[in-house]
Amino acid sequence: MTAIKTQDLTKYYGKVKALHELNLEIPKNVVFGFLGPNGAGKSTTIKLLTAFARPTSGTAFVAGEPVASDNLALRAKIGFIPDVPAFYDWMTGMEFLNFVGDLHGLTTREARHRSEEMLDLAELKQAGNRRIGGYSRGMRQRLGIAQALMNHPEVIFMDEPTSALDPIGRREVLGLISRLKQDATIFMSTHILSDVERVCDMVGIINKGMLTAVSSVSELQNKYARSVFEMEFLEDSDGLIEAMSRVDWLSKPEFVPDHGHPIVRVAANDVGLAKKELPHLIYQSGLTLTRYEMVMPNLEDIFVNVINGRDAK
Amino acid sequence: MKGLARLLKKELKEQFRTNRLFIVGGVFTVFALLVPLSLYFMPEILQLSGETAQIELPPPTSLGAFNDYAGFIAQFGILIAVMIAMGAIANERKNGTALVTLSKPIKYGAFISAKFLALSTTVLVSMAIAAASCYGYTVWLIGEAAIMPYIWLNLLAAVFLMFCMAMTMVFSSVFKSSLAAGGMAMGVIIGLGILSSLPVIGNYLPSKMLGWGINLLNGTGENYWWALGVTVVGIFFCLYFSQRILKTKEI
Repeated sequence: MTAIKTQDLTKYYGKVKALHELNLEIPKNVVFGFLGPNGAGKSTTIKLLTAFARPTSGTAFVAGEPVASDNLALRAKIGFIPDVPAFYDWMTGMEFLNFVGDLHGLTTREARHRSEEMLDLAELKQAGNRRIGGYSRGMRQRLGIAQALMNHPEVIFMDEPTSALDPIGRREVLGLISRLKQDATIFMSTHILSDVERVCDMVGIINKGMLTAVSSVSELQNKYARSVFEMEFLEDSDGLIEAMSRVDWLSKPEFVPDHGHPIVRVAANDVGLAKKELPHLIYQSGLTLTRYEMVMPNLEDIFVNVINGRDAK
Repeated sequence: MKGLARLLKKELKEQFRTNRLFIVGGVFTVFALLVPLSLYFMPEILQLSGETAQIELPPPTSLGAFNDYAGFIAQFGILIAVMIAMGAIANERKNGTALVTLSKPIKYGAFISAKFLALSTTVLVSMAIAAASCYGYTVWLIGEAAIMPYIWLNLLAAVFLMFCMAMTMVFSSVFKSSLAAGGMAMGVIIGLGILSSLPVIGNYLPSKMLGWGINLLNGTGENYWWALGVTVVGIFFCLYFSQRILKTKEI
């Protein structure tokens, strides 16, 4: 079942292309990380999917509902957390959640019950009767999440949910996101790659308004990552570097400075062949091997590769 | 309109909790009280100011006090109405609260209407207190006065102030800056004021409301029912356009 589907979704601001023919299908109950550098089109996509901006062309469906500003059924099924959640500072946290429950059509009793649940979930129970004007940034972020969950949403949109938080606040919010995916699909834009690696099942990478990659994190690693081999020797390894440069199944052998002996690092153009032949090459060099490791690149390496337009192998 | 009652409840609460009702009510009442007080104590005020020239002041009349009160509404009343409406939508868009509220299943029309009704309540309550205070002090200090023309003046002025607020909200939907919205609204109100002095067409414009009220007070001039109709329809049009504009805007 699909939670979010877009077809050729395009947005121009005048002549500036903010989003170009986005085609995306996100299944239910996954955490989807939407990655991209600043100005790539992440926030524009979220605004289009939440009907806060009108597309120049294309269509989108969220939780089975066509995305349109007057589609109240859509708004009843989604939760939205802006990058900087804003509230009526004269209200208390509890009052604000009651107000949100009221807007979702809950009775006073239901709204109060749900508000208490959400305050508990967001770890704001003790601050529930304090004015929001006195909340810290982290507390506001957590209240933002709590208000977005009042209606048991099928799809939750989060725009940079952790970007302004300290490490403890980030850990709390990421923990909350992990727990939420049992009940909802989460679409989360971010440029913090470690957050994506930690909580996301799927990832999409957008650059200059174009979706350049979309798959699971592990698939992305397999698809875009050229495996890297790292080795350490007791002796000088210039000869081996030369030998590595001559074979076409390896590329860019290099020394990486280290505290002890320099590390030799080489990327594999053909991982299968490299796994089989590289040990022979090392044996022929006569060097004393102290460490041999195949390193999987992290999401940051992949992100940089994709953004820089390097092809998948 | 889905969400109107719920949003109105919040908006009315906001008028109290942010002290807006008390501030607007206080300003209206102070200015309204100053009218009969300044008229009654004018000779003493002139004496205290050290004015030595002999000025023959006519005795204060209730009618004079009410005409001055109408003048206050035409100047400060309009200014206050524009000032409280100019940020109604612009500020919510600017600080991001509109984004959170409008992500809920409510109509844009309900969002606009709730704000308009709450602001209208503030102005109407403030005007009612101010008008009653002005009337009471005028009768006490100056003398008896006919109440019905005075009530009509206030009702017509209230309708006109509501029109001013509805029109300001259109600009508040257009601009993210409340100052820009207020400036544009004041420009249009001044423009309408100038146009209302023109023959024929002027009789159909909202600005004629205050003139009509003053006519009733003084027992002169004609009635401007068409202008009243245009003003009421204008309020609905402004609210409609305000939500249409907001829908086209990126929140």
